[in-house]
Amino acid sequence: MAKESLTQAMAIAKSPDEAKKEVKGSAAFVVFMADKGIFVFTAILIAASMTFVDGFASLQNLTDLFHRAAPIGIVALGMTFVVITGNYLDLSVVAQAAAAGVILIAVSNATNLATAFAVAFVVAIMFGLVNGIAVGYFKANAVIVTLATTYMGLGLLRLLSGGSQVFGPSDGPIATFGSSKLGPFPYSAVVLVVVAIVLTFVLSKTNFGFMVRSFGVNEKSTRLSGTNTGFIVVGAFLVTSMAAMVGGFVLAAFSNTAVSNMATGFDFQALAAIIVGGTSVFGGKGSVPRTLLGVVFVSILSNVLVLSQISYGWQQVAIGSLIVFAVTVDALGRRAGKK
Amino acid sequence: MRKSRLVLAPAALLSAAALVLTGCATEAEEPASTGSTTEAATEAEAETFNVYALLPQGSDQAYGTTYLPQMEAVAAELGINLTITNSQYDADKQASECEIAVAARPDGIILWPAVGDAVRPCLEAAAAAGIPVTVTNSDLFDADKDLSRGFSGPDTYGQGVASAEIMCDIVGDASVNIIQLNGSIGNSTAIDRDNGFTDTIAANCPNVTILDEQNTDWTKATAQQVASEMITAQGLENIQGIYAADDSIAAGAIDALEARGVDAADYFITGIGNTFMGNPLVAEGKLDGTVFQSSSWDGGNAVRLMHSVLTGAAGAERQLLLMPSVKVTMDNATDPSVAPEW
Amino acid sequence: MSNQSVIKMGSEAKGPLGKLRVTLARRTEGRAVGLFIIIATVVTLTQPLVFTAYQVTLGRIALIGLVALGLTAVILMGELDLSVASTLAVSGVIMTVVANETNILIGVLAALAASVVISLINAFFVAIVGINSFIATLGMLFALRGFALVISDEQPVKLLNVEFGIAFGQPILGPLTPRILIFFAVFILLQVFVTRVRVGREFLAVGGNRQAAYDAGIPVKRRIFTGFIISGGVAALAGVINSLERTAADPTAGSTVLLASFAAAIIGGNYLKGGKGSIVGTLIGAASLGMLQVALTISGVQVPVQEIFIGGILLIAVITDPSSLRAVWGSINTVIQGLKNSRAK
Repeated sequence: MAKESLTQAMAIAKSPDEAKKEVKGSAAFVVFMADKGIFVFTAILIAASMTFVDGFASLQNLTDLFHRAAPIGIVALGMTFVVITGNYLDLSVVAQAAAAGVILIAVSNATNLATAFAVAFVVAIMFGLVNGIAVGYFKANAVIVTLATTYMGLGLLRLLSGGSQVFGPSDGPIATFGSSKLGPFPYSAVVLVVVAIVLTFVLSKTNFGFMVRSFGVNEKSTRLSGTNTGFIVVGAFLVTSMAAMVGGFVLAAFSNTAVSNMATGFDFQALAAIIVGGTSVFGGKGSVPRTLLGVVFVSILSNVLVLSQISYGWQQVAIGSLIVFAVTVDALGRRAGKK
Repeated sequence: MRKSRLVLAPAALLSAAALVLTGCATEAEEPASTGSTTEAATEAEAETFNVYALLPQGSDQAYGTTYLPQMEAVAAELGINLTITNSQYDADKQASECEIAVAARPDGIILWPAVGDAVRPCLEAAAAAGIPVTVTNSDLFDADKDLSRGFSGPDTYGQGVASAEIMCDIVGDASVNIIQLNGSIGNSTAIDRDNGFTDTIAANCPNVTILDEQNTDWTKATAQQVASEMITAQGLENIQGIYAADDSIAAGAIDALEARGVDAADYFITGIGNTFMGNPLVAEGKLDGTVFQSSSWDGGNAVRLMHSVLTGAAGAERQLLLMPSVKVTMDNATDPSVAPEW
Repeated sequence: MSNQSVIKMGSEAKGPLGKLRVTLARRTEGRAVGLFIIIATVVTLTQPLVFTAYQVTLGRIALIGLVALGLTAVILMGELDLSVASTLAVSGVIMTVVANETNILIGVLAALAASVVISLINAFFVAIVGINSFIATLGMLFALRGFALVISDEQPVKLLNVEFGIAFGQPILGPLTPRILIFFAVFILLQVFVTRVRVGREFLAVGGNRQAAYDAGIPVKRRIFTGFIISGGVAALAGVINSLERTAADPTAGSTVLLASFAAAIIGGNYLKGGKGSIVGTLIGAASLGMLQVALTISGVQVPVQEIFIGGILLIAVITDPSSLRAVWGSINTVIQGLKNSRAK
């Protein structure tokens, strides 16, 4: 019984895709762009950058690109779960990534790396549970809940850590990890790929992933099918917390420093990458590889803007316009698909 | 069976969350109560003054973290009862905090402008209420200076000048290209240092060319990222030097250079701050020079200046307590007088 | 949304208590009023200055609340406008730059005109193209911040007519400054618009059930345009007031405004998915937050502790909403039911 109605919910979700197959001509092109547009745009951006931007196509720049993409990318991959459940975003990744970074360096300076990991892990679980329970079981608004946990998290972090900038020994394991490479790929890129593979598996192959997607499609039918919907939301926030923790680790290791304001802006930057990748804020639609592609796209764009010596103001204009453009194509495609 | 366990788990988690919440609540109350007892203790000893300190940062930034303890320590020593705010560089929030401060009728207001252009109304309101204002860390514009009783802090423009003088000094007559890494966008300290540096380079050593400049948000991670990309854009072989608006930024730029397998000591690099992160780099020869900035001097003297104004020890004219912009190079990096503080 | 209707609990209202409960359940401001009463009581007892210097507290409430009032107009329709923070910054910069070239009046008009253009772009993407407003306005949040920086040359712009700016910050009616008066004027206008004017009343219908609104002949797209013009215009007004009062425009302004105004609207009982909420609720939400912030500032408690406090109160406020408690009660019932079922087997 439970499985039946869940499958029904999924069938409803799939129907627009089937409708798309029947569309012809120019509408078909728009539908294609909406569905695969991010692949096309990324390819165009890479080709254009290689042609017109000096230094873009160098090994060193590939390393820089991954350094740019890894921390924010890992956070965005995790946050995809919260977005798919239809809960907008998790603002508290700003506090979570900073907490993980500061704990990693401060605690490992004071004791050892294993203790630092353990403490950061416990803190991440706490964040995920408070966010998840408040949103999943109390049905509270995710924006306000995560805004509240951002305030509390940063406040506690500053109170307990004293707030100062911490940095590790320059020959310690954290610094070594942050500066080491596998060919042109920094270790942080390896972490990004591993996280992407794991989360892709979780979202598309596990029962939990199935429930997250069906919950995003239709919350009510998922609940009526007997699934514990609160549990799904808690799970989605826990995944985000884990990812934010890893993202914080990677960011702290990159520069071997951490300070409580180091992840400022991660909330909306991660959301932008998720959206550009094609995950819908309505919930339901989206995937981890899409977010990865969105992260790659946004990172290349930021990289190219700096390489081209564009001023900060115009960089912001470009990134904002791009978000609107990407979703316009998405929206037009969906509409053409419906016709 | 399995399902019932699944639904029981959240109930357990819920109670855990409740515990966390109550934990936070009690923690929130404790510091308040201990604060009031120490106030009561000092009140008995000498004449106490109530002073508001309107700051744009605090424990959310490295500088503020070491600025605050000294400020509080000197206040306790001089019998000043401080109320500290943090506007996080939001001019509107600071203006509202200023209104609150004026309404509370304290004996004085210590102001660290969040945005220099925006503080005149606050100064006029305080003047109208007869509350003396002293300025800390970033001085006012000339037109507004007569509305304050004094300034203590670093000469942010002068720091940019000093860093440029070190650069000119080490470069000599050679013709070199450098890249410039600024603080965060719109920040007054960042703007002052930028102007101080570029004005001095243009006047003293036009043989130094600034190829490109970018903002870094004052963080090492961003600086490291952006510096590496700027080096790619200009080509490593075309760059001989880097100016960084503070030492964390310089440290990031040095790491970006060394990630390419070159020795940072071969490059002309100057910063500002002489921080825990920058000082060892100067001693190692990687950072050619920096400018000493003492956060504890800044925090402590903000309160001392206000105290001298309140007790009448200060004269009628505007007081000026400028932190000396001591240049720190390899020669004096280990000198105890310039031991790093933040 | 149908969330609440699924979990039925005490739906059969009996006696006067039950009727009261039904009436209260129909209003959306309950949580805001509760929070307001608690905060007002505690603040009166601990920090009486919040009330004796009421004009300062009102100023803070107006600072948070003005943007939130405009935002409520789009929230009622189930839309969001994240771009208000940047609209505030860019309109302040435009006003100052234009005023420095000509005069203040033309500057203000230019800023308001710019906000209308911004709103039309927002509404175009939402109503015509059909993009979710959360995303369209997120893009505008970045892009407009960029324009503010470009126009201002990445530095604060000083208002040349300083005397006017200073005068604008002075009380003109009793102890009330123009900001507070404008805030109340906007509140009254919007309250009347949403409750008494047909166009405004239709906002709630658009937010409650868009298809039904279409079927009933409501020009939904035109209402969305109206809503965005209100939110953008009010944000621009806030930007103009801020820049005049400070005698300078900061292109990075508004960093703390966005989340504070969302918090005020949601604490005020406005439902983010539309159809439920009120302007009064937002006012009470803003008043609660404003009072709390002023009281915490005066208390002199360490700033991180203030952050923990504000976060804690937000969290408690949002999870003690009647519908939240019903949802939890529903979950507990499910657990009990699950236990019973497993035992029966």
